[in-house]
Amino acid sequence: METATNDEQMVERALSGDPEAFGEIVRRWERRIFALAYGMLGREEDARDATQETFMAAFRNLRGFRGDAKVSSWLHRIAVNQCITRQRRAKVRGETALEDEAEKNAAVFALPVDASPARSAEAVERSKAVRRAVISLPPDLRQVVVMKEFEELTFQQIAEVLEIPLSTVKSRLYTALRQLQMRLQKFGDADVA
Amino acid sequence: MEDTRERPVCHRAEDLVSYLYGEAGGTDALDFHQHLEQCDACRSEYAVFNQVHASIQLWRNEALGAAFDQVAMPEPATEARQLVRPERKLSALAAVRQFFSVSPLWLRGATAFAALLLCVLSVMMVARVRTRPVQIANNSGPERLYTQHELQDHVNKAVEQVRNDLLAQQTGVNQTGVKQNETKPGSKSVQVATNQRKELRPRGLNRQEREQLAADLRLTSTADEDDLLLAFPEQDKPRQ
Repeated sequence: METATNDEQMVERALSGDPEAFGEIVRRWERRIFALAYGMLGREEDARDATQETFMAAFRNLRGFRGDAKVSSWLHRIAVNQCITRQRRAKVRGETALEDEAEKNAAVFALPVDASPARSAEAVERSKAVRRAVISLPPDLRQVVVMKEFEELTFQQIAEVLEIPLSTVKSRLYTALRQLQMRLQKFGDADVA
Repeated sequence: MEDTRERPVCHRAEDLVSYLYGEAGGTDALDFHQHLEQCDACRSEYAVFNQVHASIQLWRNEALGAAFDQVAMPEPATEARQLVRPERKLSALAAVRQFFSVSPLWLRGATAFAALLLCVLSVMMVARVRTRPVQIANNSGPERLYTQHELQDHVNKAVEQVRNDLLAQQTGVNQTGVKQNETKPGSKSVQVATNQRKELRPRGLNRQEREQLAADLRLTSTADEDDLLLAFPEQDKPRQ
């Protein structure tokens, strides 16, 4: 990553009182953090909020940043924790009524502009199924899938972010793919029926 | 999607994942590629995982493609900014026209009638102001002011009144003096006659009376006071 060598310098500048430095960090990583949050939460609004909370938490804990880790890993770790916290809160509040609305929005997102009606309907249904399958994964599996599929991080980077062994990342990803395949298989059976 | 619920599991699951995401090294990738040709389980899973991976990527690209555009929130282009013009403020006449264009008929008639009535009242008020004599000041209160002409009239009337009173007194005293002379002879009658003669002199207003008169007439002008002094010069002499 081109910016990886400079992120730590940006943090140092931010710590020394440069107001522009942290803004630069946000600009560099907001898309990736948003993608991670979107994959974890499945809703655009939640992903935006989680992204914002991630950077706010990072700014608050800037002095706690350890120089031995990468800024990207640090930010991803904060984002994952933010997403898990948000999901726990949502589960406590019982926000299931919003799921349908979120699926509707996600389906609209997934619509290609120039798609035919039949193809659009199929794409919508598939996107809904994939999203539902990813969201229903256990958090430890989901974060690995999202980091790999959405963030395209390497296994080594995921291991650094989650602070787990490399082999655990691979085994979790394998288990996650199997579960996704089974869930999507279920979707295919229901579709046929 | 291929049904793999009953498929066997190979012990090279981690190598399968590394190969699937292109993170296997050169030798490892070649080795696993050869393994795929021999292992049905791995070959089946590899195909299924590829489909799952493709589905997630499709969802990701479609979802984040739209969402990223909204996250970035770019500034509006110059052309777009030029098209967004501030709302033009209406002139008063245009506002009135717009008001009448959207008003019902009864409201238009009422407004026209009210405007006509206002014009008539204005004309009447102007005409009335022009015909009314110009007032110097408000003369209805106790601080009434007089014009020079009115003041002269009042002074002449007052002087005439005083003169008439004196003449009337003089006539009455003469008659009484004659009667007293007839009934009381001697020095007393002479004294009375002398006294009467004193009173028969034309008596003017003293200073106090003149000041009282001036206060009644609200005279403030020293010129007018001088006129009075000229009219009654005897009163300025001290009495002996």
